[in-house]
Amino acid sequence: MRLIWWFATVLAVSFITILLSEQNALDPFKNLTLTVSAPVEGTFRNAASPISDIYEGIVDRGDLVDENDRLRQENEALKAQVAAQQDLEQRIQELEAALAVKSQHPEDTLLVASVIAEDPSGLKRQIAINLGQGDGVDEGMVVLSREGSLIGTVSHSFQSFAWIRLINDPDSAVNAQVNVAASGSGDVLTPDAPTDASPSATPAASATPAPEPVRGVAQGDLRDDLVLELLPPEAKIDAGALVVTSGLGGNYPPGILIGSITDVEQRPQAPFKRARVSPATKLDGLDTVLVLVSFKPARLEAP
Amino acid sequence: MKYAFVVAAAWFLAILDVSAMPYIHPLGVSPDLVLVFAVSWAVVRGHDEALIVVPLCGLIQDLTTSDPIGTSIIALAPAVPIAVAVRLRAIESDFLPTVIAVMGTTACYGVISMTVLGLTGQEIGLFHSLFRVILPGIVVNAIFTPVVYLPTHWLSPRPAAWLQGSARLPSSL
Repeated sequence: MRLIWWFATVLAVSFITILLSEQNALDPFKNLTLTVSAPVEGTFRNAASPISDIYEGIVDRGDLVDENDRLRQENEALKAQVAAQQDLEQRIQELEAALAVKSQHPEDTLLVASVIAEDPSGLKRQIAINLGQGDGVDEGMVVLSREGSLIGTVSHSFQSFAWIRLINDPDSAVNAQVNVAASGSGDVLTPDAPTDASPSATPAASATPAPEPVRGVAQGDLRDDLVLELLPPEAKIDAGALVVTSGLGGNYPPGILIGSITDVEQRPQAPFKRARVSPATKLDGLDTVLVLVSFKPARLEAP
Repeated sequence: MKYAFVVAAAWFLAILDVSAMPYIHPLGVSPDLVLVFAVSWAVVRGHDEALIVVPLCGLIQDLTTSDPIGTSIIALAPAVPIAVAVRLRAIESDFLPTVIAVMGTTACYGVISMTVLGLTGQEIGLFHSLFRVILPGIVVNAIFTPVVYLPTHWLSPRPAAWLQGSARLPSSL
């Protein structure tokens, strides 16, 4: 009988606190908890990071040699691309100077944040950072990796801390596009594919009309990490093609790198294609992230 | 005093859960040391203390994760009846019953968390959550049970000899 009463009390208290949490009424308690525990969490994360490297080194040793070879070839191909890119940039600058126009590239304001915690449940993919509303971080803001690729959005902001929903969380959906024009560069990244990224080859390639980008929705998935849904069935997408934000919907600026296509799936009778995407940044064990505070998502700008 | 110790220990383990443990993910999931601690305490110290310790651990767990406060309080609640049930046993050792209770509580915890998160609007893949998160979690938490159980066991007072039944097998654990 006592146990039944205890269960009833626990149920009632839980129900009330969940409701209050959903209304953000208990945020000060969470903020206080994170404030107290953040220094210890940071210390533990720093201490655990080398242990993790050893652990992963043992687990993934078989793949490391193959990956090293593949990365070496990718590096070589990318160097060739960089050379071609520099040539094109110089050409663009010359043309801009000649036409007296300047392309619009507003400076982005980024805040550097340290990751202090990760959600351990396995049912979600979220991390906590040491910046919050007091630093200008608001819900919906875009979060990037140190290299500038998309890693997620702010899902809940407290006074001094914020939780970030990563792009591989099941609740995350990003309007994305596959740069079909860049699928050539995707092929360049594949060691087996022939490369034509030499500077002399680039002008010829740029003379051909650029294909329309293929649009879809990059959806987080606990099993496949990240999948690109709602792709048109007639779209031709190669493995290695780059996936970037499309900017549709106004919640993400266009052109932010999300990842690259690993394989495309077309089921019979399915109205859309589906592709698995490998995120550009390793989303496990992040230590530093950038919050893009200069871009206001559509939700925040609404009156 | 003992509840102050419980709060401190649970807090320490909750911080470990969100900071260091995500780096260790055998079978793709991290161990939940707070759950293991709550169950170990409930089995070793009896259900009178479990009635207070289990919700306390749930509250601390909720304060350090992104879940709404109350999720872990309700999800850990089955630890108490499970601990009571496994105390009805044929051997004197607390260890094996604790492992069984950890496995049972992990399963209940996963299902209840999934339900609460689903009801609060979180997208939950039922098949994946069940087979890639909850089932591996049962194994991983069982593997990590000794790490938390042994200190809990050592810090607990031994039952008086006259309380022990004569039909049970003795064990050093």
